[in-house]
Amino acid sequence: MGALAHYLESEGLPTTQISLIREHTETIRPPRALWVPFELGRPFGTPGNAAFQKRVLMAALRLLEAPEGPLLVDFTEEAPEGAARGDEGLEGWSCPIIMTSEAGKETDMERLLAAFKREVAELRPRYDLGFEERKRTAVVEFGPQSSPEVLSSFLTGGKLLAGQKKFSLALALRLAAQDLKAFYFEAATARPGSASPSSGEFNRWFWQETAGGRILKAVKERCMQESDESLKKTGAMLLVPLDQ
Amino acid sequence: MARLDRMPEPMKSHLLNLPCPAFQERPWVSGKPLAERRIAIISTAGLQRRGDRPFEGMTGEYRVISGDITAGDLVMTHISTNFDRTGFQQDWNVAFPLDRLKELAAEGSIGSVAAYHYSFMGAADPSDMEPAARTLALLLKGDNVDGVLLLPV
Repeated sequence: MGALAHYLESEGLPTTQISLIREHTETIRPPRALWVPFELGRPFGTPGNAAFQKRVLMAALRLLEAPEGPLLVDFTEEAPEGAARGDEGLEGWSCPIIMTSEAGKETDMERLLAAFKREVAELRPRYDLGFEERKRTAVVEFGPQSSPEVLSSFLTGGKLLAGQKKFSLALALRLAAQDLKAFYFEAATARPGSASPSSGEFNRWFWQETAGGRILKAVKERCMQESDESLKKTGAMLLVPLDQ
Repeated sequence: MARLDRMPEPMKSHLLNLPCPAFQERPWVSGKPLAERRIAIISTAGLQRRGDRPFEGMTGEYRVISGDITAGDLVMTHISTNFDRTGFQQDWNVAFPLDRLKELAAEGSIGSVAAYHYSFMGAADPSDMEPAARTLALLLKGDNVDGVLLLPV
């Protein structure tokens, strides 16, 4: 991020930036940076809080008027609600969807795949409801029908289904994994008026309680046993977060 | 939290070990008051138009995002799994504050919002982004941009 600022500023364009990892910005020393204490993925702190987002944005933009630099300024106000909750491990949110199986504990692959299929079917109406309400989905390439198919067919046959050859297997698995998580999040938060989980609460639910989380871990293991380098790398780094 | 001292392993070491170039030069360009500036966003969140090519590999390439894009048409295909995406799923402004920028323009706090914005995929090596960044500088000047807001994820 800071490197881009260097390149653009040296071409004559004034830059300002948000810094999420202060240590990186201290090394790179871009012309102007506002460090914020928010979690990775949320440079403006809190979803749905326009007033707070605007304060952060103005604090970053005002650095463009500074007379000299380089500048690294701290925005010390924490993101309102939610953002810190999950990191502290407090209980606050639980998935409003009642799952019929103990899918998170299943070890036999066939039974896990069957539990995954049931779970996806149970989540689907919620996802559809959420999409109706929001008119938006973060699912990119593989919808709630096809992302489970891509992942399941890899686990049972090590390859893609016919008709899903648009991407390499490694890329398809990565996109399907992200799309599956997006589908689960949107389904789990679709109940009208319900509070959204913090990122930590969602991650705990997804990775520890759902068959979907178990499936992604199984796909990771399978990828790492493959001889193909891109599958190995995808398995090692790109399917399951480092902390899960 | 994006505070390394509070971050558990192995994330902490992973982030500390990312390549971070040090620069000898300290470029600095002054300009007009903020209220007269035209602002463009460059994000490293791996953002793209729905239907555009997903980010793949570490080549330092970028995607163009039209200034009239709507939330439903902006998606994220960053390769990393080690940051929160649920914030962006709920409200794109938490990573790409185009609505906020337009409000600031409407109330006169900034001059205007650029016609185009851009996104890289931040896991790429910064030096691989340099040629694209220098090309972008020309595009941004062509759009009369005189304030670039760089946003990580």
